[in-house]
Amino acid sequence: MIRKLNILLMLTSSIALVAVYGLKYSVEEVAKGKQGLEHQIQKQQGQLSLLQADWSYLNQPGHIQPIVMRHQQELNLQPIAQTQFGSLSDIPMRPAQPDTDAMTALFQSLESGVDPADHPIGGR
Amino acid sequence: MAVMTGEDAISVTGARKFRGDLTRTRIRWVVAGLVGIFCIVGGRLIQLGMVVTDNTIEGQSRDVISASRPAILDRNGLEMAVDIRVPSLYAEPRRIIDVDDAVEKLRTVLPDLDAKWLRQKLSGDKGFVWIKRQLTPELEDKIYQLGIPGLDFLTESKRFYPGGPEASHILGSVNVDNQGIGGVEQYMDSQDLGTLQSVGLARGENLKPVQLSIDMRVQHVMREQLLDALDRYHAHAAAGVMIDVHTGEVIALSSVPDFDPNDPSTMIAPYNGEPKMRFNRITAGKYELGSTFKTVTIAGALDSGAVKMTDRFDARFGVRFGRFTITDFHGQNRILTVPEVYKYSSNVGAIHIMQQWGKDNYRAFMTKIGFDSPLPIELPEKTTSSIPKKFADVTAATAAFGHGIAVTPLHMAAAMAAFVNNGVYEPPTIYMRSEDQVKALAKQFISPQTSLEIRELMRLNALEGSGTVMDRQAQGYRVGGKTGTAEKVEHGRYSSSKNFNVLASSFPLDNPKYAMVVIVDEPHREGPTTGDTAGWNAGKTTGRIIAAVAPMLGIAPNFDKAIDDQLVPVSIR
Repeated sequence: MIRKLNILLMLTSSIALVAVYGLKYSVEEVAKGKQGLEHQIQKQQGQLSLLQADWSYLNQPGHIQPIVMRHQQELNLQPIAQTQFGSLSDIPMRPAQPDTDAMTALFQSLESGVDPADHPIGGR
Repeated sequence: MAVMTGEDAISVTGARKFRGDLTRTRIRWVVAGLVGIFCIVGGRLIQLGMVVTDNTIEGQSRDVISASRPAILDRNGLEMAVDIRVPSLYAEPRRIIDVDDAVEKLRTVLPDLDAKWLRQKLSGDKGFVWIKRQLTPELEDKIYQLGIPGLDFLTESKRFYPGGPEASHILGSVNVDNQGIGGVEQYMDSQDLGTLQSVGLARGENLKPVQLSIDMRVQHVMREQLLDALDRYHAHAAAGVMIDVHTGEVIALSSVPDFDPNDPSTMIAPYNGEPKMRFNRITAGKYELGSTFKTVTIAGALDSGAVKMTDRFDARFGVRFGRFTITDFHGQNRILTVPEVYKYSSNVGAIHIMQQWGKDNYRAFMTKIGFDSPLPIELPEKTTSSIPKKFADVTAATAAFGHGIAVTPLHMAAAMAAFVNNGVYEPPTIYMRSEDQVKALAKQFISPQTSLEIRELMRLNALEGSGTVMDRQAQGYRVGGKTGTAEKVEHGRYSSSKNFNVLASSFPLDNPKYAMVVIVDEPHREGPTTGDTAGWNAGKTTGRIIAAVAPMLGIAPNFDKAIDDQLVPVSIR
């Protein structure tokens, strides 16, 4: 009886020994992995914050304006003048009757290969 | 097997019993020994459990060093201040095995470190020493690759202001310990952030960003134009503030010369050899705002009913107070109506209007519109107004045209906003305000009818008075305002050569949305054909700002004559 118990106890303790040993190493492994991940997260957060700072710096009006000024001549950029604003009421209403003469003229000019954008019809 | 004989008992212990006793004693000893060992083990366990690991870094807890601050956004969500997380290298000397090897390896990546200094730092039994703070991620990588035991990194937060000096006076700055030392940064600390940080909660990325009411586009334009004014008029300083009249939200606030929040030492740097120039003139400077006060005088007088728009005031002669005579700058020397007093900026007319209304009523009105109470704005840099508790005849007279009393430009901007916004006042704020808050904070200063009349006067002044230069710059945006050219006090006397110029304006006046105050300190003539009064510098700057920002703010220009005709009746032109 006691011998059986002893054998059982010995078995369990040796199993436990192996298990604890294994557990210890796996925990160490996990801890190492965790540390690595934490380091990676921290690094990426740092990089992210730098990128965010970069992005907001590039978006600042104070950063964009000098770029605009630099390319003002080449791109013919000008501040919009008050007179250049239009309103909806400036757009004429659709005419009651379609302007058939103008349409015919337009189609004719298209057929003859003239781009109406270059040669406005009707003198407008 | 004891043998007993008679009385004298001789006890003989048998060999077996003797051995049994001996075994029992031995077992007892072993048990005692084991208990002793267990006690030692237990005691050691308790001892280990009691050990407090030293988490402080040179007296500061790790939490404080990596504590972060919330991002600050403008009203469109553009970042005005962000935290960047930077690695800092530290060492635990007691864990370093080979100091010489570590020093050699480390110097391959950080050659600027002194070998002797480094060796001294790394040897010894300390638990923590900083090697180099705020490195780049690339350097961190390289050092990590070296694989020196006992070296590690700590992420520190560092404040970065992407806009640089653009919104310096609004944001303020932070010191090396990440504590606010001015502007809204300091205000946040005085509110809840400081408490959060002290209990170690303000950490990580999950701090909610703080949204301000500032529009960085407008802020940029305003600062740009103020710097331009500084240069163009060889001025001493310039400042401006724009307020949303419906909500009291500050859209832009700038005061030049300013500083770079990324480098807090520039806060106290001298400007043109003069110290103390880089302060916020909008909230921390109080000035005699000159004729812009006539708007206040006339608004109050009209609202009381004591004065009507059609009333006439004798501006033929100066007003005498003992030795002093107050006269007009642009003397008309005739009898003027209220719109004419405003348009020609008649000091004499303003005094008569104030007198007809009553000086005590005038003083009470100043209290009503908050001129003698401190500003409610969320910036620590504030000053209080200088207005006498009780007006004597002379002070009341000079106060009627803005002399002898001083308020901050923001006081004036908030009052102007109320005057054009149907008389409803909203205390100025730099935080976003919800509709409910707007409703709860609203205060009626003057009646909507008076507000309409003030708008009439302001637009009239832009069409025919001192605001014409401004109007020419910002055509189509229905601007209006009142100029103020005050002589600066020098050695206790008013100097006739040094001016302090103000323009308090609003646009678009057919449906006012924004109020603005621009000041230019000690401007000079731009050219031989221009003047040095407020209309020419503060006015022109205001006009330029409005022309540039109105399209951004969704205000379309309108050249319809009918708007002006409706706004300013022909009868008062």
